[in-house]
Amino acid sequence: MLKILIPTLMLIPTTWLTSAKWLWPTTLAHSLLIALASLSWLKNLSETGWTSLNLYMATDPLSTPLLVLTCWLLPLMILASQNHTTTEPINRQRMYITLLTSLQIFLILAFGATEMIMFYVMFEATLIPTLFLITRWGNQAERLNAGTYFLFYTLAGSLPLLVALLLLQNSTGTLSLLTLQFSGPTILTSFADKLWWAGCLLAFLVKMPLYGVHLWLPKAHVEAPIAGSMVLAAVLLKLGGYGMMRILPMLEPLTKELSYPFIIFALWGVIMTGSICLRQTDLKSLIAYSSVGHMGLVVGGILIQTPWGLTGALILMIAHGLTSSALFCLANTNYERTHSRTMALARGLQMALPLMTTWWFIASLANLALPPLPNLMAELMIITSLFNWSWWTLALTGTGTLITAGYSLYMFLMTQRGPLPTHIIALEPSHSREHLLVALHLLPLILLILKPELIWGWTA
Amino acid sequence: MNPIVSCTLLITLGLGTTITFASSHWFLAWMGLEINTLAILPLMAQHHHPRATEATLKYFLTQATAASTLLFATTTNAWLNGQWDIQHMTHPLPITLFTIALALKIGLAPLHIWLPEVLQGLDLVTGLIMSTWQKLAPFALLLQIYPANSTLLIMLGLASTLIGGWGGLNQTQLRKILAYSSIAHLGWMILVLQFSPALTLLTLFLYIIMTFSTFLVFHLNNATNINTLATTWTKTPALTALTPLLLLSLGGLPPLSGFMPKWLILQELTKQDLALTATLAALTALLSLYFYLRLSYALALTMFPNNPSGTSPWRLQSPQIMYPLALSITAALTLLPLTPTVTALMMP
Amino acid sequence: MTYIMSLFLFGLVLGLVAVASNPSPYFAALGLVVVAGLGCGILVGHGGHFLSLILFLIYLGGMLVVFAYSAALAAEPYPESWGSRPVMVYILAYVVGVVMVSGQFWGGWYETSWVPVDELGELSVLRGDSGGVALMYAGGGGMLVISAWVLLLTLFVVLELTRGLSRGALRAV
Repeated sequence: MLKILIPTLMLIPTTWLTSAKWLWPTTLAHSLLIALASLSWLKNLSETGWTSLNLYMATDPLSTPLLVLTCWLLPLMILASQNHTTTEPINRQRMYITLLTSLQIFLILAFGATEMIMFYVMFEATLIPTLFLITRWGNQAERLNAGTYFLFYTLAGSLPLLVALLLLQNSTGTLSLLTLQFSGPTILTSFADKLWWAGCLLAFLVKMPLYGVHLWLPKAHVEAPIAGSMVLAAVLLKLGGYGMMRILPMLEPLTKELSYPFIIFALWGVIMTGSICLRQTDLKSLIAYSSVGHMGLVVGGILIQTPWGLTGALILMIAHGLTSSALFCLANTNYERTHSRTMALARGLQMALPLMTTWWFIASLANLALPPLPNLMAELMIITSLFNWSWWTLALTGTGTLITAGYSLYMFLMTQRGPLPTHIIALEPSHSREHLLVALHLLPLILLILKPELIWGWTA
Repeated sequence: MNPIVSCTLLITLGLGTTITFASSHWFLAWMGLEINTLAILPLMAQHHHPRATEATLKYFLTQATAASTLLFATTTNAWLNGQWDIQHMTHPLPITLFTIALALKIGLAPLHIWLPEVLQGLDLVTGLIMSTWQKLAPFALLLQIYPANSTLLIMLGLASTLIGGWGGLNQTQLRKILAYSSIAHLGWMILVLQFSPALTLLTLFLYIIMTFSTFLVFHLNNATNINTLATTWTKTPALTALTPLLLLSLGGLPPLSGFMPKWLILQELTKQDLALTATLAALTALLSLYFYLRLSYALALTMFPNNPSGTSPWRLQSPQIMYPLALSITAALTLLPLTPTVTALMMP
Repeated sequence: MTYIMSLFLFGLVLGLVAVASNPSPYFAALGLVVVAGLGCGILVGHGGHFLSLILFLIYLGGMLVVFAYSAALAAEPYPESWGSRPVMVYILAYVVGVVMVSGQFWGGWYETSWVPVDELGELSVLRGDSGGVALMYAGGGGMLVISAWVLLLTLFVVLELTRGLSRGALRAV
């Protein structure tokens, strides 16, 4: 654990001590090395599932894929941010990289924590760097509003979680993830216990976000700079799913009945956000709403608590992390050229940037869950287990999948196909940095077809 | 003000608080509080600005009311118990009177209205004394009447956290905002007072560190309203990057020091089966967080357009001493990992 | 003696009402002096001769002069006495309040508060007030030093607050 964490910490002195000329290459190389080293977590030999143990932190098959994803995303964020920070003074660039690094530190501590309170503290600690990323480095004036929404939605959900966790600690005496699932069954009958159940889950549902408490997410995505959108879509949303998977075993007898409305909300959200995407004009907003839809499937998969559901949820989290992050990168390449997020203004880009169209194509197909990709595997598993739970869900999930395919296609056709408008003929050609960036998103996704058990979680 | 006079007054200010600390006798404790009040009055009015004079008068009146109520409570106590000893408070009547008097003295919620207006009239250094040092003596007394009136304290605490957050929402004056932040923090301290006095002390300590840093930052930038804050980045860029963290620490966000007292207080409250109170208190903290966030936005997260000659003041050497600020701001940001140690030290 | 005590107590309450009902400053000062005097009388009735003497002396000697002086400073051409309408409203409200509260709390340990201490019996030999003064001088030496310092400090504070031509309390003149 420390062999990843300490180099990540040391990335901050690296940032401040390297010369201005080598700042971006050095930090990129450094973080890529960290990401490379983090791949060793994937080899898990222990019988209990827990490995890389130390006093406070450990990894298990559930947290490993998310940890590796976190480490993988930092070099990508650094790679993606190089263009829009070039006009800033060098110290602000360093500050920016420090911010991204601190986010990675907190995320590693959150996913690696073996104690719920530690997880909670780190879960909250990611708020500050993300908030600064959105409100300091975003572009439009609405970013302040978006930052406020982000912070207050999350905190209003997670402060009850803190109280709920402390109550749980009072009754069980420990919050260690290693032993908590073996603690005796708690008797939960009163109305207050139901509130406690909701308190335990609400924070994660807001973070996911569940349809109904999702309003902060499109705002945050739209206003954040590219690195902010990437990390939000790829990792921060997954904190919610991870937290739910961790805490659900403790809520056992109540979940069966109480989770109905949440599952329905989540599946209804898939359809609603998909419909919103179908008539969206703002490219980043479209991708953000599609994230809400995919996360709705994850919530459904987690809440019915079958092994298939949980596995599907984990796979979808990883696959969606890579896919939506890639889509945001692609949207950002458009944004950096046209300085507009409006899709109608940047159409027919296939004529101008043909290789980019390939990336758009692959990423859109991944978003609509094309057969061999892990996205499909995940959606199939979740849909199957939901179907097993109740036949009626097929109406919702089926329509949802159809709409997903619809808006992915709409996004692709809208941005890439058709005649090139005359006002964007003189586009800057795409850089190899951008190709590398998208390739580094999509290659892991494609390679995961070959060995999906890496992200299967407990089932593997 | 003549330095000798100001020195005498400051020493007497210290003397008053020390007398209250050291006394076990109500009369002496009361005397310490009165010395305290008397000594700070000329400091408050030293600029002879009409607002300062008004603030001094308001402060004098409220403190005199509080002190006489306190004296009345102690006399009643002596009459009922035959004891002047601080630790021997048994009858509920003097305890309640006494709690209300001290609540007025430190400015807890239903009795808080004087605090923002008084603080608004002062310069930032006197304001700093007012919101840190002046809270010590009343808290020394509050901590000693241990078996206190529980419902009253919880009501005072919840009302303070609520009003402290609510009142600051539409303020544009920094000192008023800090006054409301002070009210909210005092509410947290009062909330846990009867369950764990050590925790109250810890909260007070951290509150003082954070408020000290905040006042010094504002003093350094000579800022008394939100608009002035917007040009901070031209004066002290490094500090500008740290100040939002400081403000969020005041708001109690992890992983900053300000989360520690909130966390421990919530833990203590849930241990006492007061989960609803804990949740309410935690949610009212969001109100305070909103105005801290607004300050952070104005201070560092938006860039105020500035002409090129206006962006260079940071190159000049500041005549002010930076070490206390450097120390306190470090403590105000990074103490959270010490939580287990602090818990072990303060609650053995 | 009981009649006199009752008179004093009623006078005390009425005097407080007279001060609190917000008349012009010198009427209020007058009310305050009356209240102080009646309070001293009550203290005498309850056996605190020495304390009431000190109080009375201080009021007559020091406070009254200051009151008269500052009331004269705040003199206004059309003073409001207790007869004028807004003051009357206050007086009525306070009197009604006093009556209601006394109705609420009628009876109890304070039932005998209008009985002077001499009529309660022969047990009140111990003169608590003068004994207390002796005790304070004997045992509270340190406290006395602090009290002296506080007096000096008060002087300082008053001087600091009022000195200077353009500022302070006398600016209005």
